[in-house]
Amino acid sequence: MTNQSPEQQVESAIKAFEQEFERFSHFTGDPSTFSALNLETAIADERALSDLRTRHLGKKSALAATKKLIGRVAPEDRAGFGQLVQANEARLVQSLDQAEQNLKTFIETARTARESIDVTMPGRRPRSGHRHPITLLRERLEDVFVALGYAIEDDREIETDFYNFSALNIPENHPARGWQDTFYTTDGFALRSQTSTVQIHAMQRRGAPVRMIAPGRVFRRDTPDPTHNPMFFQVEGLCVDRGITMAHLKGTVAEFLRRMFGPDTVTRFRPSYFPFTEPSAEFDFSCFKCKGSGCRICKNSGWIELGGSGMVHPNVLRAVGVDPQEYSGFAFGLGIDRMCALMYELDDIRLLFENDVRFLEKFE
Amino acid sequence: MFISYEWLKELTDTKLTPAELRDRLTMVGLAIDAVEEHNGDAVIDVEVPSNRPDCLSHVGIAREVSVIEKGHVRLPESEVPKTDGRAADFTSVEIIDSDLCPRYAARLVRGVKIGPSPDWLVKRLETIGQRPINNVADITNYVLHELGQPLHAFDFDKLGGRRIVVRRANDGEKLKTLDGVERTLTNDMLVIADAEKAVALAGIMGGEDSEISNHTTDVLIESAYFAPQSVRQTARKLAMDTEASRRFERGADPEGALRAQQRCVELICELAGGVATEDAIDVYPQPFSERIVSLHSGRIPALTSLSVETGEIVRILTGLGFERISESDDPMKFKVPSWRVDVEQEEDLVEEVARHTGYEKIGSELPPSSHSGEYQPGEMQQRSLRRALNAFGYDEAINFSFIPQESRFDLIPTLAGHENDQPQLANPIIEEAAWMRSTLLPGLLASLRHNFNHGIRDVRLFEIGRIFSTSKAGELPDEILALGVVATGSALEEDRAQGERELDFFDLKGALETAVDWMNMSALRFTPSSARHLRAGQTALISSGDGKAIGTIGRLAENLAASYKFRQPVYVLELDLGALLSGPAKAIQYSPLPRYPSVTRDISLLVNRNVSLDEIFAAVDNQHVADCRSVKLVGTFEGGNIESSKRSVTLRLEYRSDDRTLRDEEVEESHSRVTAALLETFAAEQR
Repeated sequence: MTNQSPEQQVESAIKAFEQEFERFSHFTGDPSTFSALNLETAIADERALSDLRTRHLGKKSALAATKKLIGRVAPEDRAGFGQLVQANEARLVQSLDQAEQNLKTFIETARTARESIDVTMPGRRPRSGHRHPITLLRERLEDVFVALGYAIEDDREIETDFYNFSALNIPENHPARGWQDTFYTTDGFALRSQTSTVQIHAMQRRGAPVRMIAPGRVFRRDTPDPTHNPMFFQVEGLCVDRGITMAHLKGTVAEFLRRMFGPDTVTRFRPSYFPFTEPSAEFDFSCFKCKGSGCRICKNSGWIELGGSGMVHPNVLRAVGVDPQEYSGFAFGLGIDRMCALMYELDDIRLLFENDVRFLEKFE
Repeated sequence: MFISYEWLKELTDTKLTPAELRDRLTMVGLAIDAVEEHNGDAVIDVEVPSNRPDCLSHVGIAREVSVIEKGHVRLPESEVPKTDGRAADFTSVEIIDSDLCPRYAARLVRGVKIGPSPDWLVKRLETIGQRPINNVADITNYVLHELGQPLHAFDFDKLGGRRIVVRRANDGEKLKTLDGVERTLTNDMLVIADAEKAVALAGIMGGEDSEISNHTTDVLIESAYFAPQSVRQTARKLAMDTEASRRFERGADPEGALRAQQRCVELICELAGGVATEDAIDVYPQPFSERIVSLHSGRIPALTSLSVETGEIVRILTGLGFERISESDDPMKFKVPSWRVDVEQEEDLVEEVARHTGYEKIGSELPPSSHSGEYQPGEMQQRSLRRALNAFGYDEAINFSFIPQESRFDLIPTLAGHENDQPQLANPIIEEAAWMRSTLLPGLLASLRHNFNHGIRDVRLFEIGRIFSTSKAGELPDEILALGVVATGSALEEDRAQGERELDFFDLKGALETAVDWMNMSALRFTPSSARHLRAGQTALISSGDGKAIGTIGRLAENLAASYKFRQPVYVLELDLGALLSGPAKAIQYSPLPRYPSVTRDISLLVNRNVSLDEIFAAVDNQHVADCRSVKLVGTFEGGNIESSKRSVTLRLEYRSDDRTLRDEEVEESHSRVTAALLETFAAEQR
């Protein structure tokens, strides 16, 4: 080697580089053509290239060493020699840079592709539980009535005859008192057959005026079938004040139903009979499904029967010590289960109390 | 109640079509279930409210229609063509139990010819769903549907002694009713008897022996008023429900008995021939007392907001049969017609006027605002509880409040000792579910089994509901709001098929702890305990922040799990939610963030397995090392090369001072004090 001229030494250093670079030379081309390459060999190649750069272009490389030979070059050729070395070095660096850059791009692309994820896979989260649909509705309707200024009340589920019947003006011989209709304990207490019992407790406690609703469990001796359960949930409302009329009853029930079933819900009141109200009314609302044109839910009538209501019977007011000449009031009641069955189109309400998780998860 | 449109037309000249009637009747309180074409007529199915027995007749409906249309009712004229002799010449009526039979009228038609009814009558009965039998029976049925008065025709010759005795049955007395069933009577049932025996169940059904047959020539027509309660009780007891009983038990028209009888006799003479007695034997020991009800002018607007002119009020009420008895306008006074058993006071008149004025004419407005709304105490915490348990994968269940008798569970501590005090139902509807639950767990476990039966083995459920206990016989049972939770299977991930690991005690405990935290209640305490329904060694007593024992948590005992056919561990908890809610709220007290860094040191102790973490924490606390700020569990390890009676517990202790950065020697000193104490207290080894 040492007997080679500096020029020759430059040449051989370049040759050595080129020989080794040969297998990488195609990396100076378009990276999209690196079809045979995979990520692992590309990374190895990148490392090899970096190594190659150190060996052939580093401070200890043969090419770098040639720069020190300038002293052996005739003074007049020194500029030319310097240019030769620099130009060659620049050329090699450029090839190397190009190859490295392309390889990096390739690696980046390949790595990104490899690390791409299926973003449609489910998010990582524990399975959520669900509120019971009856709770969903109860909470919704409680929110509506609290916003309307009502207190939410509840009371006993096993009741005395007074609260379940007498105070509600249900006469001694009324069928509802019979063993056919109402559950009794062996001690002779009744399982409350409507949450109107709570109205009596609340009026005794609060006196008049009063505004309250009582959502809760009630019991009637119905054999379970697709439309009956011996236990269900009801909400009863009561508003007693000076000057309360049926117009307030209509306004309140209509507002409630609009908030539950949508702003275009129309409510209809029909005369009816309940022992605890006089005058009495049943209320229907325009079918939320067909908007009144007739469908399966409303049995083609356009109307859905929902609940009972009326002006509190003077005997009921008297039973709790409220003077019916001074105060008047309205009361209404409806089944939360029934509302639930309507809103979700349940074909069998027994499902409500079977607690099948496949059922329970359908409502929120 | 089926109403024939053609029949109604004869009574009212209504100009409304059946479809229009459907709407108009509905809006006066007579809901129409259906209108159907039948034989060139229309049948209107009216749902008559239970307080309006007067509308269980064509005339009753006609009265309502006439007020709707501002028309009149044309009552059928009845004149008996030919009469001979007085009823008393042939028979007698004796009412022994007048409390159950305030009125009984009997009239005879002699020499009738029994045969089929004429076509018009057959058609009319068939239209309203009645089966024609023979002319006399059909006529009584026809008049019942026309006027609402149940009538009965006896074959007079079959009446022993040819007389009528109205009395209570003798205990054990037998009567074969028209439906061919032999009935055994009790002495609270009213019967119509002849001189010897019962011949009819008063107000419900006649007897077979005195039934009208083709050989009958003389008939005795009964028209009576029976006490509603008596008829109802007897019909219930015998499980009978007839056209007659339905009307008597709601209340017939005591004053209408003779008119209906007259109408019936007239039709018999016309269609079956025969000669009627010129009168009836009318025994009326308890005459109807008429009611007068006042109506103040202000009452209608005060209750309904409607303003109705006096003339219109009078038109509506008189059209319905009320009779205005004074000229005074305020209050007006009305005599209530005898068929309106439902009208007793002013508000009843207000309803009559309001429903015929139209509820749709009543305005619709919210009452003036005067109250601020309020939830029930604890409602917001219960909502947080539900949301927290939902977040941990628990679905909310609701079970029936009645369950089979249950004694395999220890009740929550607040009910301890009341295991045998489940209130019992006297008349359950689901035979085995005859006890009010005093624990939520049987219901929840049954729900679990239901899910297992449908192939779902990863289930977490909770229920919030009342439990019951009779603490003193004869007094109202205690009602306690309880929370029950059950968990089994693996910890499911949403939208993934398989859970990653099996749930254990600490999953259930953790869910409850978070729920209590979300409720803003102070943390619960768990102490080792035992309960009949829980597996030994995996049972804890739950106490609220104020130290009150409120519940139990643990793994379901093996024998109980086996009885439900559960083949995997089930974890359950139940607590007194009312007691929890009345316990202390979480204390929120701000303290400034630390100004100096803390140093943590871990320590692993090899202790006996029966040493609880609570005891270890307490031992650290007991050292009162001022700079020791917290101790937390890193983990526990058992098995491997550790002796089976031991376990390794690794703790992380945090050392910090509020006024300076601790030097290493200071930390070291504190830590070695704590370490030494732990090693000594528990005879532990450091690992």
